[in-house]
Amino acid sequence: MTYAFTAEQEDLRRTARDLFGRTCTPGDVRAAWEPDADQDRSRWRRMADLGFLGANVPTEFGGSGLGDAELTVLLEEAGYAALPEPLLETAAIVVPILREHGSPEQRETWLPRIASGEVLATAQLMDAPAAPYGTVADLALLELDDGLHLVPGDRLTREPAPSMDGARHTAALRGVPDAGTRLPDAARVDARSRGAAAAAAVLNGVTRRLLDMTVAYAKEREQFGRPIGSFQAVKHLLAEVALEVETARPAAWYALTAVAEGHADAGLASSAAKAAANAAATTASYHTLQVHGGIGFTWEHDLHLWLKRGKALEFAYGSLRHHHRVLGDAVVTCPDLMATFGPALSAAS
Amino acid sequence: MTTAARQETRALAEWRAEIRAWLEANVPEGGLPDPESGDILDAHRAWERTLFEAGYAALHWPVEYGGKGADLDARIVFQEEYERAGAPPRMNLGGLMLAGPTIMKYGTPEQKEFWLPAILSCEHLWCQGFSEPGAGSDLANLRTSAVLDGDELVINGQKIWTSGGMHADWMFGMVRTGDPQSGHRGITYVMIDMRTPGIDVRPIKQINGQTGFSEVFFTDVRVPVANVMGELNGGWQVAMEALGHERGAGRRTYVKFLNDLAQLREFVTSLGQADDVGVREDLGRLLTAVSVYRHHVGRTVADSMRGHDGPEASYNKLYWSEMTAQIHEVGMRVLAARAELQDDEKSLPGAKQWQDNYWFSRATRIFAGTNQIQKNIISERVLGLPKEPRR
Repeated sequence: MTYAFTAEQEDLRRTARDLFGRTCTPGDVRAAWEPDADQDRSRWRRMADLGFLGANVPTEFGGSGLGDAELTVLLEEAGYAALPEPLLETAAIVVPILREHGSPEQRETWLPRIASGEVLATAQLMDAPAAPYGTVADLALLELDDGLHLVPGDRLTREPAPSMDGARHTAALRGVPDAGTRLPDAARVDARSRGAAAAAAVLNGVTRRLLDMTVAYAKEREQFGRPIGSFQAVKHLLAEVALEVETARPAAWYALTAVAEGHADAGLASSAAKAAANAAATTASYHTLQVHGGIGFTWEHDLHLWLKRGKALEFAYGSLRHHHRVLGDAVVTCPDLMATFGPALSAAS
Repeated sequence: MTTAARQETRALAEWRAEIRAWLEANVPEGGLPDPESGDILDAHRAWERTLFEAGYAALHWPVEYGGKGADLDARIVFQEEYERAGAPPRMNLGGLMLAGPTIMKYGTPEQKEFWLPAILSCEHLWCQGFSEPGAGSDLANLRTSAVLDGDELVINGQKIWTSGGMHADWMFGMVRTGDPQSGHRGITYVMIDMRTPGIDVRPIKQINGQTGFSEVFFTDVRVPVANVMGELNGGWQVAMEALGHERGAGRRTYVKFLNDLAQLREFVTSLGQADDVGVREDLGRLLTAVSVYRHHVGRTVADSMRGHDGPEASYNKLYWSEMTAQIHEVGMRVLAARAELQDDEKSLPGAKQWQDNYWFSRATRIFAGTNQIQKNIISERVLGLPKEPRR
């Protein structure tokens, strides 16, 4: 994958867009803002039936055979649809962390039930004050002072912490950790990298949707007797969004490959991907609301569903400033920039 | 990053090793001074000759014309290594990237035989004759006229911003053969021998003090009609193909910008700013941009090798030009009050060059199609927004 998707992977993108086009319309996203909407698992089960939740789950635990490239596609589409459910946390963080760092017992207990759609998992990493779908999650990955813990739902305490994006059903989680929930030290860094890389892909999907909605509006809305999209003042704003999001996307593809394959640069690649996605999202947030004008500022218009998802994801798994500092530290402290970041000779040669 | 080689096929990995070894053995120690800085032109031509003899002058040209017929991925590997080695800037890109491919497509067998080998060996330097005082972004407004007289075109008018015009042997240019109001339908693409009587080249001093470009004046300059590429009045399409080459991937890689970042890091360390949180954030922002550019080029290569080359090439020009301007701006802020001083080279090696490069970086948003024109292209041809009404 990395920079190009196969025909099968593009088919999967169409399958996902089709599923979300029917079951995750803007009206559905709005409905997901209802306080008890987190109880409805129908869309989650459909995703399990299509194998989305079995991505990267070993086949002996009920995996669907979908891999990292497929997951990349699904993450972008989840953002594009403003999918309420935590596909990011379940499929892109908890599953691989379980697979790579979980005990045999943890793997056996949880992976089959995640793949089947029975279990919905979330994560609360770094200094995050709450977790999406923390209200109802059956399993949570928590970063505590002594490391990462995988805590079953019946041992979680959930403080209400509603999000400005009502579809996220955030709650502040505290766990009752013990030796049985603790994961090895290496899991901590791995989870952070995976979270940043996957959040970048979802966020790029959100940004792309903001762009597409706004391009459609600019073609249709007329002022001074012509579509506003024909004015350079408007089209340049949208070209800037397109430039930022379309250049951010391959950085996230690369980061997801790097974390999946455990490469030495996985952490830095994830930071670069998330920084780029954050910057693109900020630009998009400003420019797309500006082009919509007053109508975009109404509760009734759908734009804010994506504006708010974008804003929430911008700060999840590391802000722009956080990732710039990580990368800036690397620039200053690495022994030789070209040796660290430049092209390398392959061992094969 | 460190795992860049991981995705390379065995063939590409071997190619990278071959290029790296060759460059290590052949790149002149300390590089070469800027070709505009005086009597250095011969050294640059000699370097081009070295590349030519090794078979590296034009990787993208088909084998039948003396190139390597290399795919874009192999060309990117070469370019990465070239930049990594700090090899001299290429001398004849106008000929190699723009004139050459046009000649291959539209030239007669005799023309190909005459022009192509001389481009390859750098015997002929080429320049571009598109822009005019009244035709910059609005290129189709050009007025330099060419009137048919027997089997010759008689050219009168003026070109401007002609990079390398002082040294060029040939120009690929656009002239108006239709009536003055004919717009892009009355333009002809023609190859002009710069030694033809009636041509007057005058250097223009740039804000960085160098004379990289020129004005070229034409007074009754007679050019054989046979030098026309494509149809008479059909030059616009020929030029647009050439400009697509100018904007797309292949000319620059992230390694060039990583070199800039390494120099910037030297300044930061020498000036005691390494622990400044704001400076670190700036460096992190720049490393993000360099990484993003690397992956953007990777995606462009993957798309191109699957047959998709489109107006997305404008993303490339926009991205690298904004990035290089940003890198140099941050560098000036790090130099701070020293940034204005001209003779600081001893106390801070590289500072003088950085100042020159800073002003050059300010040009990158303007040349090869201004960034505003690139945004028009993206919004109209990629996003499908309606065209702005034009006359």
